[in-house]
Amino acid sequence: MAVRSILVYPDPILKQVCQPIEDIDAAVDALLQDLIDTMRDSGHSVGVAAPQIGVNRRAVVVDVSHSKFGRDNNHGLLTMVNPVILEQDGRKTFREGCMSVPDYTGNVTRAENILLQFTDRNSEERVLRCSGFEAVAIQHEIDHLDGLLFLDRVSSLKTDVFRRKNY
Amino acid sequence: MSHFALTIIGRDRPGIVSEVTEILFRLGCNIADSSCSILGGQFAMLLIISHPEISTREDFGDAFAPLEESNLSVLLRVLRPGGEKRSEIGGELCMISVYGSDKPGIVYQVAKELGERQVNITDLNTKLIGSEQRPVYVMMIEAVLPAGVTVETLEQVMTRIKNEMQVDISVRPIDAVEL
Repeated sequence: MAVRSILVYPDPILKQVCQPIEDIDAAVDALLQDLIDTMRDSGHSVGVAAPQIGVNRRAVVVDVSHSKFGRDNNHGLLTMVNPVILEQDGRKTFREGCMSVPDYTGNVTRAENILLQFTDRNSEERVLRCSGFEAVAIQHEIDHLDGLLFLDRVSSLKTDVFRRKNY
Repeated sequence: MSHFALTIIGRDRPGIVSEVTEILFRLGCNIADSSCSILGGQFAMLLIISHPEISTREDFGDAFAPLEESNLSVLLRVLRPGGEKRSEIGGELCMISVYGSDKPGIVYQVAKELGERQVNITDLNTKLIGSEQRPVYVMMIEAVLPAGVTVETLEQVMTRIKNEMQVDISVRPIDAVEL
């Protein structure tokens, strides 16, 4: 059990594609606990991905149940190994920020509904439907496993509405 | 390291950014925050720049002269130490949209109410749209609300302006989330 410090860009690990996890062994279990502890310790975080604490493996934790955006629609604490999005639809835009990219936010449009598959902490295969903010948070964390930051997903400048239409 | 505010504006055409940044690069200047956009037919650049050795306007010599020769206006101001750092502005973020037939005072009336309540405008854009016969004014404001001012309070204030000025106004929180 340990609270780990969050790495910030340009730490190179944040831009790497993480390795799949084959067995939920003691090391993976400890990693998952560290992710939970780190998320809880930050107070406001709704998710942390393994590369954010310096581990190049496919594990993330998400819990939006304490956030005003996710309070009414969530699965509580999700501890995910090798998460994959099987299906997605709808669009939802949030002004996203990230603990690994301090002092910057951007509008990001992501799927509103996802069908998610992952292995849980007890090595059970799980398939879940998630929507709204929980779905957005999961997509943000899974992006970390592929070396993608929200900066790679920004869909519009703040002044989007004044971009000239050309037709 | 001294910091400077640099403003450049002139008739829009391709190549302005490249000419400006080539000069800055050759001088050895760093560009920190910047925002550049087309306003009307003009391209406007606002930049905070710094240089490890240059500390006065005079030190730049006539480095920007080629820009002025190509009809760009250049304004350079030395920042006081610390002037490059933003003050910590916490608080709820909100978006205010104001639009309606063009008339004098729209920006002022809205800004006055915000200023009186210590609401900090962090971004403001206006644009004149519609036809020449029926011009429509659109203003978008992003602002940080101080403690004690809520989106609801602001909505009430804006409803009054809306009725007085016969414009449409909406106020809504921005869903800013740190993931």
